[in-house]
Amino acid sequence: MAHPAHYREAHPFIFVMTHWINLVSIVALTISGFYIHYPFLPGLMSVMRGMHFFFMFVLLINLAVRIIGAFTVKSATRLGTREVDTDIKNWLPQKLNRGQMWPWLKYYLFLKKEHPIGAKYGVLQKIAYLFTIPLTLAAAYTGFAIWGPTMDWGFLIAGTDAVGGPMAMRIIHYYIMWGFILFTAIHIYLANIEGTDPSKLIFKWEETEGLQFDAEGRVVGGKGH
Amino acid sequence: MAHEDHDAIYDLLAARGVSRRDFLAYCGSIAALLGLSEAYVPQIAAAVNRGARLKPAIWLNGGACTGCTEAIAQADSPDVATIVLEILSLDFIETLSMAQGEDALAAAEAVFEEPGYILIYEGSVMKGFDGNALRIGGITGLEELEHAAPNAAAIVAVGSCAVDGGFVMARPNPADATGVSMYLQEKGIDTPVVNLPTCPVNPEWVVAILVDVLLLGTLETGAILDKLDRHGRPKYIFGQTIHDNCPRRGHFENGNFVYEFGTEQEALGYCLYPVGCKGPQTYTNCPIVRWNRRASWCVEAGSPCIGCGSLDWVDVGAPFLNRHRDLPLPEVGNTQPNTIAGVVAGIAAAGLAVHAVGMKATGRTSGGAPYEEMKERDKKRMKKGGGE
Repeated sequence: MAHPAHYREAHPFIFVMTHWINLVSIVALTISGFYIHYPFLPGLMSVMRGMHFFFMFVLLINLAVRIIGAFTVKSATRLGTREVDTDIKNWLPQKLNRGQMWPWLKYYLFLKKEHPIGAKYGVLQKIAYLFTIPLTLAAAYTGFAIWGPTMDWGFLIAGTDAVGGPMAMRIIHYYIMWGFILFTAIHIYLANIEGTDPSKLIFKWEETEGLQFDAEGRVVGGKGH
Repeated sequence: MAHEDHDAIYDLLAARGVSRRDFLAYCGSIAALLGLSEAYVPQIAAAVNRGARLKPAIWLNGGACTGCTEAIAQADSPDVATIVLEILSLDFIETLSMAQGEDALAAAEAVFEEPGYILIYEGSVMKGFDGNALRIGGITGLEELEHAAPNAAAIVAVGSCAVDGGFVMARPNPADATGVSMYLQEKGIDTPVVNLPTCPVNPEWVVAILVDVLLLGTLETGAILDKLDRHGRPKYIFGQTIHDNCPRRGHFENGNFVYEFGTEQEALGYCLYPVGCKGPQTYTNCPIVRWNRRASWCVEAGSPCIGCGSLDWVDVGAPFLNRHRDLPLPEVGNTQPNTIAGVVAGIAAAGLAVHAVGMKATGRTSGGAPYEEMKERDKKRMKKGGGE
């Protein structure tokens, strides 16, 4: 047992909410997206399209709220502590993560036995999470480019022409959805493979005890020390 | 406009079995197509009557199946559009001219010498084989186009082949086919080109454009160019998708679909979206203008739209009964996007499963491995520092 303590300061309630909204939106967008791609059951097209168009705005607004939150809400920048700092610090390069990319890769490739020291979000984790922002924006751009009410807008048409027409745009949009599916699969796997404490915190806002760390990432106490 | 002016055309139309009423109704539909009010009907009728005395029009055939000529000619039963086109001084049309051989070419040559004619071009421009894929009267098709284009007041590229190469330029495009406007751009010839895609072209659109540029004078004022979209297509024809105006749209919204041909759903006229209809991404007004003397059109006749009004329509539309196009993967060949996605997702899932076994075997699944005491980097630095 070498699990860090998961305190609420790591994920303030607003981010528990935005995470929930992301989850519901992405699931709804994926199901309705698959349906719009190929209506596998009769009778649901207007419902599915309505759902798709509703949740695309929800997802975008949620992204905006999350980004604003990054600058206005304080959260812990490492696990196993109740110390907080402005949340954006988590999304910029952090001292605790410096030089840790290769150790993390080695850890996941079973070339390193010990758990690498890291900030709340490890190097690879942070890159993956940040990557969802351009992925969401790309989904939005390609989606609006094939959505009736907006497909004729100049800056969307420019993209449609550049990629070779609406069919190409449709396929890119489809692959972006698969990007979300792959991200989500890996995210769920890595978040839970060493224990479900992270899920308890982000879904139920439930704290779990564990190791506590100092600012240098050294274990300084807590359960399992 | 004095009524007598119309007599000549009405006599001519009557001789072909077209009543004055039919003709005015037709002019009304042209007015609607051009976005004009019904008040313009007499003006259009008069303009058509004057047509022969205005500009001559020349029809050249490039690399294509001659389906556009066929669509226009409808030889067994000429309709109003055909007659109007005949009246419009179509001085030379390779496949239909009465004159043959050198006589016909001489007639065309006479027109080419007088700048200001309308050049209607059907078919792709085939650049392959040094242009020898098409030879007419001892010269290549390329030379004919380069000869005919500069003096034309405007070029109407009819059919998808003339617009961007159409089916002739579909992979692997052995003839290196392209569209008229692309070829003229390469050659630095700046004659305005009006693109009328679809395979074949709809005769109603050709008439509408000829009335617009030839008779209403939009070419002289430059107004025609404002009516074109970024692909040189008239916005009033290619401004909305087929899906927007489809008579089966209600079935789409209700989720009533044809999943297989020969089923009850097909008999009920349900939406053809699951069998590959390209209506949502194809910009033409087919559902409004319709085809074959406005009798019907593809979707109304029971076929999904295959997107022939789109650019690069064969490659972006095939296989026509699938929702997505095929992607040509090197070594693998044509593959559906969802097959590719499925394979990638399968590999990823297998990778995670194998990784999970590794995590279990190394005892990391109950809380992860013990934490390192310090970063590897710091450890190395300390060692280095200690050794010095």
